[in-house]
Amino acid sequence: MKLQREVYIAGVGETKFGKHELNYDALGRIAALQALRDSNINRPNVVQSAYVANATNGLVTGQTVLKDLGMCGHMPIINVESACSAGGMAVHMAIRDVATGFAEVSLGIGCENHTLELQAGTTFKPSISDIEGMQGSVMTGKYALRAQRYMYETGATIEDLAMITVKNRRHATNNPFAWFKGEISVEQVIGSRMVASPLTLQQCCGIADGAGAVVVCSAEMVKKLGIEKPIRVAGTVVQSGPYHNRPRDITGDDITETTSEQLYHESGIGPEDIDIVELHDAFTISELLYYECMGLCAKGEGLKYLRDGNATYGGKCVVSPRGGMLSYGHPIGASGAAQIAANVKQMRGQCPGYQVDPIPRVAVSHVTGGGLAGTEHAACTMHMLVSDW
Amino acid sequence: MADNSPKKDITFFHPDLLDISADGQACLKGYRCKSCGQLDFPKLSPCPNCWGEEFEVVPLSKTGRLYSVTDIFIAPAGMATPYSFGYVDLPENLRIFAQLEGPPGSFKCDDEVELTTGTIRMNRDGLPITSYKFKKTN
Repeated sequence: MKLQREVYIAGVGETKFGKHELNYDALGRIAALQALRDSNINRPNVVQSAYVANATNGLVTGQTVLKDLGMCGHMPIINVESACSAGGMAVHMAIRDVATGFAEVSLGIGCENHTLELQAGTTFKPSISDIEGMQGSVMTGKYALRAQRYMYETGATIEDLAMITVKNRRHATNNPFAWFKGEISVEQVIGSRMVASPLTLQQCCGIADGAGAVVVCSAEMVKKLGIEKPIRVAGTVVQSGPYHNRPRDITGDDITETTSEQLYHESGIGPEDIDIVELHDAFTISELLYYECMGLCAKGEGLKYLRDGNATYGGKCVVSPRGGMLSYGHPIGASGAAQIAANVKQMRGQCPGYQVDPIPRVAVSHVTGGGLAGTEHAACTMHMLVSDW
Repeated sequence: MADNSPKKDITFFHPDLLDISADGQACLKGYRCKSCGQLDFPKLSPCPNCWGEEFEVVPLSKTGRLYSVTDIFIAPAGMATPYSFGYVDLPENLRIFAQLEGPPGSFKCDDEVELTTGTIRMNRDGLPITSYKFKKTN
């Protein structure tokens, strides 16, 4: 979507990710309140619309999050579900409201608690109308199929895949919001329990709880609120996943390719200008494929890009500087909003111990969502943020 | 009086997907749209290309090539682990997602495979659900 006027991020919030006793709504409120205070908003009636992402915690989740902040009764609250893409989508909708003039200030939240309801060592239950689910499909397995074919065609090894976990956990070492962090060896990654060959446990994002929130506003409100470091939204794209039942190359990802191209076109910023990316590294293979799909490197050169150190601190584009989903875990409705919160903090130089240097000026986030039969993903949401000051 | 007894779960998945003849021979059912000619599996109605609603049922090839494969060790309820699944490409330019019959670790990309039938999972009543699978060509 071409933005009809300038839209800015005024403030962000995120909880630590991990296993929480607090339910999704309490986590959502913590992140929201942080984002609101970060935006110099100290009362409930400044925000004019809210979008709240959640995938598995039930009905009217947005109102449940916001009623205790006194925000119900004087603005629309819209609940957003699109599996792992939901958090990004909620922020996208908040941006739309400001871009079209529907609101001067809008709030996007992503929040999820999985562990209060879902046992470790299990998977999400398939729908009986999902033919792949009936045949035993699981999300890890669908990524594993991509990994197997990628390895078969390129000669990449499981050790190569493991380097993604090693890199992202190292990035997260000093990040207080990340869950799994610090040093881990390639041997430890590949020696962990097999989930779906070749993906071992340490190549999969953890089932986690958490929340992220983003306050979006107009240029006029940036001044009124006295925001010193507003982050401009240069592009925001939501795409639905095309249906396939014919042979095709799954070492690419059509929906990520299409969404990236659209984002670059609309923002006028190409992949060579991006300083940092938070992408959907739910499994090691996905980060490797997305280097190529996003055009950070040429097709077939993802592994070289990683090995040459281009995706880490000091490289061409720091991918997963916060540690990615492989370090945070992945509360599916929350991740997209939390990525944006993390990118904004990087661009404001607010990441002691894991600050990218020089301070990034252009940041991209990317979440895919859903394992619908016949699609690689049911949804994809991407954002391009820039700092102009 | 209303029948409040719990509904029995399915044991065959699914008559729209495959036929099994009296002698046990299985056949996957393709659906060719009578108005535009597009061939699909599984059945999509209306046709996603032209929204036609009449189809000719076409028996699909029994052998294909395994495009990719994985062995699953953590699975949803009703599945016994480990098991394998993959994408099978048929000559009709169709890709079938299917469970594989055979020991995990024994399949690799581009193996030739053929259609078979077997248990794909257990149902809520603890009974096996039969459907299509693929196995290595003898």
